[in-house]
Amino acid sequence: MEAYIFNLVNLIAIYSILAVTLNFIMGYAGIYSLAHAVFFGLGAYSSAWVAQHVSPSIFVSYPAAMVAAGAVSLLLALPALRVRGEYFVAASLGLQVLSVTIFSEWKSFTGGIGGVLAIPPVDILGLEVFRPAQFAVLSVIVLVVVLLVINALVHSSFGRNLRAIRDSESAAASFGKNVPMIKTISVVISAALAAVAGALYASYLSFINVESFTLDTSVLVMAMVIIGGTGTVAGPIVGAALLLLLPSVISYFDFLPRTEIGSLQQIIYGLGMTLLMIFRPGGIVGRRSGT
Amino acid sequence: MLAIQLAITGLQTGALYALTAVGFSLIFGSTRIFHFAHGATFVIAAYFFYAAFGAGWGLIPGILASALGAVAFGLVLDRLVYVPIQRHEGSFFTVFVASFGVGIAVQNVIGMIFGRGFVTVNTSLSRSVELVPGVYVSPLAWIAIACAAVFLAALQFFMRRTHTGMALRALSDNPELVRTFGLNPRRIQAAAFAIGSVIVVPAAIITSATTGLNPAIGHHVMLISLAATIVGGIGSISGTMLAGVLLGLAESLALLVVDSQWTEAVTFGILFAFIIIRPSGLLGRAAAH
Amino acid sequence: MSRTDPAQGEPLMRIRNLDKSFGGVKAVDDVTMDLRAGIVTTLVGPNGAGKTTFFNLITGNLARDGGEVTWLGRDIAGVKPHRIARAGVMRTYQDLRLFDGMTVWENVLNATEYGALPIPEGRAARLRKRERIERVLERTGLADKRDTRALDLAYAERKFLSLARIMATEARLWLLDEPASGLDPNSYERFLTILREDVAQGVTVCIIEHNLDIVIGISDRIAFLDRGRLLADGDPQSVLNDPELAKIYFGDRA
Repeated sequence: MEAYIFNLVNLIAIYSILAVTLNFIMGYAGIYSLAHAVFFGLGAYSSAWVAQHVSPSIFVSYPAAMVAAGAVSLLLALPALRVRGEYFVAASLGLQVLSVTIFSEWKSFTGGIGGVLAIPPVDILGLEVFRPAQFAVLSVIVLVVVLLVINALVHSSFGRNLRAIRDSESAAASFGKNVPMIKTISVVISAALAAVAGALYASYLSFINVESFTLDTSVLVMAMVIIGGTGTVAGPIVGAALLLLLPSVISYFDFLPRTEIGSLQQIIYGLGMTLLMIFRPGGIVGRRSGT
Repeated sequence: MLAIQLAITGLQTGALYALTAVGFSLIFGSTRIFHFAHGATFVIAAYFFYAAFGAGWGLIPGILASALGAVAFGLVLDRLVYVPIQRHEGSFFTVFVASFGVGIAVQNVIGMIFGRGFVTVNTSLSRSVELVPGVYVSPLAWIAIACAAVFLAALQFFMRRTHTGMALRALSDNPELVRTFGLNPRRIQAAAFAIGSVIVVPAAIITSATTGLNPAIGHHVMLISLAATIVGGIGSISGTMLAGVLLGLAESLALLVVDSQWTEAVTFGILFAFIIIRPSGLLGRAAAH
Repeated sequence: MSRTDPAQGEPLMRIRNLDKSFGGVKAVDDVTMDLRAGIVTTLVGPNGAGKTTFFNLITGNLARDGGEVTWLGRDIAGVKPHRIARAGVMRTYQDLRLFDGMTVWENVLNATEYGALPIPEGRAARLRKRERIERVLERTGLADKRDTRALDLAYAERKFLSLARIMATEARLWLLDEPASGLDPNSYERFLTILREDVAQGVTVCIIEHNLDIVIGISDRIAFLDRGRLLADGDPQSVLNDPELAKIYFGDRA
């Protein structure tokens, strides 16, 4: 029972980081990305590779994950953010689909479809952290750090610039803001922090494969953001918890077929998102009228 | 020889891509609604045909079922989802997310009913015939190209010569103009959804007999529709048509150099190249910013 | 970046033979004028005369087809709008384009925040900024609404917020697009007072305005635009008393 709870805490923490970082660009900057799972995956694969071939120290493998994801996000953002929002959605969708192919084919780095096995546990100053209870402490601390960073950014001039851009790009530019540059920086920050979630994931499960980094995952994270609410920094955590608990809730109802739990979960959050957009765009935690 | 084979297959695919993408482009171009559930329309049209044909209904009833399903879905979505959202806020974000949510729900409902594996409609028309030594083409390829040519020509005629068609073109620029001509923008929007949804029907039906179906093809359809709309130029239906054909050809001819799992990468590559070099697309008139 | 008072009348922005066409239609046609320091110029003209297009051209939002525009001696061709803004040319919009999701305070504060990187300022600088914003809110009557979201403000308050944003910056040239339209007489008296105070401090203003009362009350010069061409450019009395221009303005064309 305890192991189950700690496991849940770890997963909720990891997905919360994903949701909070996606909300940073979607809710605050108005940039809609379907590629968040790509940076999650990049973070996981990079930290796994570094942990196996260089050092499992958290001070080496985790930053490596951030750098890898940040660099790739630059490649996506620099061209795609200069133009309209719809282009970025399309480009991010394309990148997500492309990445799944790359993750499945690049055997030397990702282990192909088989994935990466025997990832060494993360090492913090000599202490190996792998038991669910211990790891829960780590993952929650990392989540809190991420929250503090995002919160600080949101309440800074950078955060205001993002919100200004979201509300009116033209007015933002009229007041001296370099809109493409600011958007790009926000995407890089979001991707780098999402990669930390990936690094946590890899060192926690010690096994990763492409199945965890597909479009379905990007969509799940987006649903967490929407359902949790885009108006606050911590709202997405509620969304993450709800959606991760959803399969358990569904399986509680005996009459529902076990094999279809995944589908039912998706139907519930798919329709949930739609209904929320019609009746309460701010999500569960956010303000009533949305933005 | 292989190149010719791939070129013909590419034209077949391109014809289907053009039809599907034009549906999205028409809706987005005239209503400005980012109808991300367009992939779901395709899935519904395809599976309705598959179910009807498989139940022994025959070709024409099957086509009708497919068309009714697609149009009904498009209209219902417009009425129950997009119109309420437009009434209170209608921002890109809200519409996109709502649309997306519906798409996911549909994909999974279809998956629960029909299973997640690949299914195809069995027909002798999909059997390839040797055209010239080394080049095999099935009758479906000609049907696909013919369908695309006919339907797209009909659409062009409709857009240029009928009142509704012209209103559709005017709607995105100037909804007020539409009103002064005595037409109702809400009705025109519904027309956009009806037409944009029905035009995917031939593509969906032919795909069910050629490449086969699974509930997740909606994503691929969406990517192609988006890519073709952007590469062709937002606001230009002819551009989208052209881009659809080009993407189909490129995907097919790419097999000369890469393995089949990389074909979606080709689509992404072309899309990305256009975003960087020529965001306004091939024939786009709308500014890229 | 203090505002040194330039000699009154020194041309800060020089516009020469400015041209812009959209698909064969000339939106701005061979316009030549100077925007001089401390002077209030009002652009009038019928709808569609090219006034907003003119603004878009001199803020870098649109690329010109011909002619020359220099700001403080430097050609602005190819310079991105945000850089022109940082150089001291700022504008308001007819449809306001406030940052609706942010509060009044945040709107005004953010108008002064250009940098892309989240580098925090020193304490002294922050305090100075705070004082400056306080003064701006006081003058525009928004002080007690500082924590209200822009979206929730009344119409007149929104118009004043639009002005407040630009007041908080150190812009030397203010381009105001219909800043007072729809305001009740009391409000635009307040508005005129604010403008006069800032102009006295050396701000250069160019206003697009339909309301003739504003035009008379505040303008040092009036520029009359019609179908892209600059028909008149001079002191208010002579321009407003010209019967030909009145005909065009009120819609009777020969």
